[in-house]
Amino acid sequence: MDTLLTAKIAVNAPRYRRKSSTFIDGIHDVPEEQGNLAPAQLYSTMSGRLFHSGRIAIVMVGLPARGKTHICVSMARYLSWLGVKTRIFHLGDYRRATVEGGLVPEDYFFPNASPASQMLRQKILKKCREDIYAWLNHENGQVAIYDAVNPTASGRLALAKEFAKHDVQTLFIESYVDDQEILQENARNVKISSPDFHGMDPDEAAKHYLKRIETKIPVFETMNEDELNYVKMINAGQAFFYNNVSFNYLSHRIVFYLTNLHIKFRTTFFVRAGPATDEDSYKADAPLSEEGILYAEKMTETLLRHREQERQAAIDRGDPDVPLRPLTVWTSTRLRTIQTAEPLHQRGYKVRQRSQMSQINPGVCEKLSEREIRLKYPQEVEKHEMDPYHHRYPRAESYHDLAVRLEPIILELEREQNDLLIIAHESVLRVLYSYLMHCSTMDIPKLKFPRDEIIEIIPAAYQNEAKRIHIPGLDPKTIPGSPEDIRIPVPNDISTHLPPIPGMNSPEPGEVVGTRPLERIVNNAKELVSDKVADED
Amino acid sequence: MAPKINGIGIMPEDTRICVVMVGLPARGKSYIAQRAQRYLKWLSVPAKTFNVGNYRRKDAPHPSADFFDTNNAEGERQRRAAANAAVTDMLKWFKTGGVVGILDATNSTKERRKWVLDRLTKEGIEVIFVESKCDDEELVMANIRDVKTSSPDYQGQDPEQAALDFRERIRNYEKVYKSINDDNDEDHLTYLKIMNVGKKVFINRIQDYLQSRVVYFLMNLHIRPRSVWLSRHGESEYNLEGRIGGDSLLSHRGEEYARKLPELVRQSVGSDRPLTVWTSTLKRTIATARHLPKHYNQLQWKALDELDAGVCDGLTYQEIADQYPEDFQARDEDKYNYRYRGGESYRDVVIRLEPIIMELERSENILIISHQAVIRCIYAYFMQKPQEESPWVPVPLHTLIKLTPRAYDTELEKYDAKIKAVSTWRGKGSTAKHEDPKPEGGI
Repeated sequence: MDTLLTAKIAVNAPRYRRKSSTFIDGIHDVPEEQGNLAPAQLYSTMSGRLFHSGRIAIVMVGLPARGKTHICVSMARYLSWLGVKTRIFHLGDYRRATVEGGLVPEDYFFPNASPASQMLRQKILKKCREDIYAWLNHENGQVAIYDAVNPTASGRLALAKEFAKHDVQTLFIESYVDDQEILQENARNVKISSPDFHGMDPDEAAKHYLKRIETKIPVFETMNEDELNYVKMINAGQAFFYNNVSFNYLSHRIVFYLTNLHIKFRTTFFVRAGPATDEDSYKADAPLSEEGILYAEKMTETLLRHREQERQAAIDRGDPDVPLRPLTVWTSTRLRTIQTAEPLHQRGYKVRQRSQMSQINPGVCEKLSEREIRLKYPQEVEKHEMDPYHHRYPRAESYHDLAVRLEPIILELEREQNDLLIIAHESVLRVLYSYLMHCSTMDIPKLKFPRDEIIEIIPAAYQNEAKRIHIPGLDPKTIPGSPEDIRIPVPNDISTHLPPIPGMNSPEPGEVVGTRPLERIVNNAKELVSDKVADED
Repeated sequence: MAPKINGIGIMPEDTRICVVMVGLPARGKSYIAQRAQRYLKWLSVPAKTFNVGNYRRKDAPHPSADFFDTNNAEGERQRRAAANAAVTDMLKWFKTGGVVGILDATNSTKERRKWVLDRLTKEGIEVIFVESKCDDEELVMANIRDVKTSSPDYQGQDPEQAALDFRERIRNYEKVYKSINDDNDEDHLTYLKIMNVGKKVFINRIQDYLQSRVVYFLMNLHIRPRSVWLSRHGESEYNLEGRIGGDSLLSHRGEEYARKLPELVRQSVGSDRPLTVWTSTLKRTIATARHLPKHYNQLQWKALDELDAGVCDGLTYQEIADQYPEDFQARDEDKYNYRYRGGESYRDVVIRLEPIIMELERSENILIISHQAVIRCIYAYFMQKPQEESPWVPVPLHTLIKLTPRAYDTELEKYDAKIKAVSTWRGKGSTAKHEDPKPEGGI
């Protein structure tokens, strides 16, 4: 496997050149050299560390199939979005890179393991730990997330001591699950496509898998150490307990985020609002035009058909025949987004309006053409081209302002358990998409969301996936650009139809509508989780 | 114009929440309730506290401890009537647009909690119970002493007598008190249990975002006594010229203030106990803090920088009035929401100060040296100033302000360094000049 090879090379590379030991999760490998601020970063400091919180090691605790990796990746995504330099260190990756094929001795996790197994364990732990210190000390990292089982109290106390010696504060996060349904569901997701369980009844396979964990890791002590800082997340967020010895702002922020996180599977759809009668005015808040009403109907049909097709495809793959997850619709409080949701509302779907999701405020640029803006505000245009993400036209909002304004929405987005359709202005979609797909701030103002596409974001263990679903039969006039988009000029060289991330192309024109297979954009996650069966970290 | 959003937009439009306090007397419940209300209002979320004690006081203004004995049928009846009146008023208030109502009472039995839950759930209001549990006797006594001096129940009574009576009252509650889910039959409730001032916290079944936001804030609270000191930087060269913003150095008199500040702080603290000092990243606040004792920990926050005046940065009010007459007028009309061209509004400053407030809530004894607009926003938070007033509060130069949050209010003390400085205050709708503040206003 390629990723394993790369990981192996990385693990054995000299420390100073090591960027990541894994190359596999989407939160790791943001280009370092760009040096710009994160989407919702409120300020910057010389050290690159924020909130006066110093360096923190977040140590995960919990048996496999407790959703630890999902929690790590989500947390890292959120912290990076706030501007906190965060990196995950999955101990499992180190094991796989050290041991050929990732197959560890049978007694590897046993408390009374053979000397050879213990040495192997120490070697792997040491490599991972060294990487953590290297990153915190030499790369201005602030939060290192250490993703491992950490099953014993004595081991955790020793770990906290060791980190303290390096002037790193430790926060433990345990995912504790005793709800059998959640365990079954998690196990079912983990064992996907493993040959071991081929042809087995999914529930049977899940049970088998959970049993295997028990025998492989016989000792697990849930956290109860009064002297440690820890958060215990019980049954995927139903309850939390935390023991606070010396929490700081960042720890509280993390707990706040976790109270909104859940580990149930659900998808998010993004679509634009239909065209309105008065395309130019921000203040007018015009209703949908006739094409707009038609668009709303077509979009609704496509979306509902897509959901039905996906369900059928799952059944065909042998998944159990379960009803579709409920769908909730969010719009902004702008009339055109509310009206775009109308066909869904009539079909009985719940529509909620969110005032924070109003489009970016154009300020003085309202109703001006790009040419006029260039003429009237040449200096502003120059500044804007230097930094389209942070620059704010007179009286306008920057994308950064918009991201900060949308932060509560991000948390609500994490909280939502139904499938979610977000109907909003392109500027809002850019920011929300950038959070879910972990885009760099440089790319956010350039992301394109043509009207004839529904974006579907599917959560996966290591990195979310995005699909684009074509809406057939639209008037080409309404598709490209965004006629109602406020005309904040973007640098000339990106006025072309750039894909937001590599491989994320818009559909070619002239294809046969409706029959085109769905395009899978980022899809390495499944292969990655497949070997999680042997992965007890 | 800033878009018409609700503060930082933490109000999901169809959520209404009642925060129901639970706990024995002298556990900091009123304190927590007041703080939550203040924080939410500062963020533009309509919030109001309904204190059952206030309703009860209408009928029994100065009750003795046996009024609270569960065997006292008349006392029991009156207390139930008071709870009923408070909940009824709260429901009325929700109908007028309220979003977060706080029911401040002991709610110490399962029966009472079930009654509250049923009444509110029936009206579509989400209920979150917040329990403060404390078995640290010293903390409880500190709290009694505070309540004894400031509770309306004991107004004009002998303090020693009051303290004894209050302990007796607590004993009566203890007889029936049941901590949430202690019998494992309240697991269906949404609740937050804070033990020993946040040392341990249990959170159960948070239903939506606003609840998580309230919980997040409450987790950062503590009830240990402390104070916050605020000061503007010493008079700057720009102050002398009447210019706003910039990053200028201190004037001679500003330097004098910086030298005098350590003495002023010592006088106010009353001992050599060290403070943590927060400044902005601008030269004039750092210079103002530089003579403070070496063992004071100093931190610079970008978020404490002065309101960004955008294109008007470095101009005098007269120049702004000349060059941007419309802006000058627009700012006077709605100073809280007005955003300078390419700069910030007060609302923007409040949003960026949110982490600072959160950090302040969880810290003890902080001295903040910052700027006029920023101090106004922090002051508005602690003193519950409405948005129409907060941007106009005069904050004089060369004055140290000490704020001490207490159960029912925040105490304000100020220390004038007696070093002359220009005024940087300008009245609403007045000429484009700095002037002396009107005597009744502000700090």
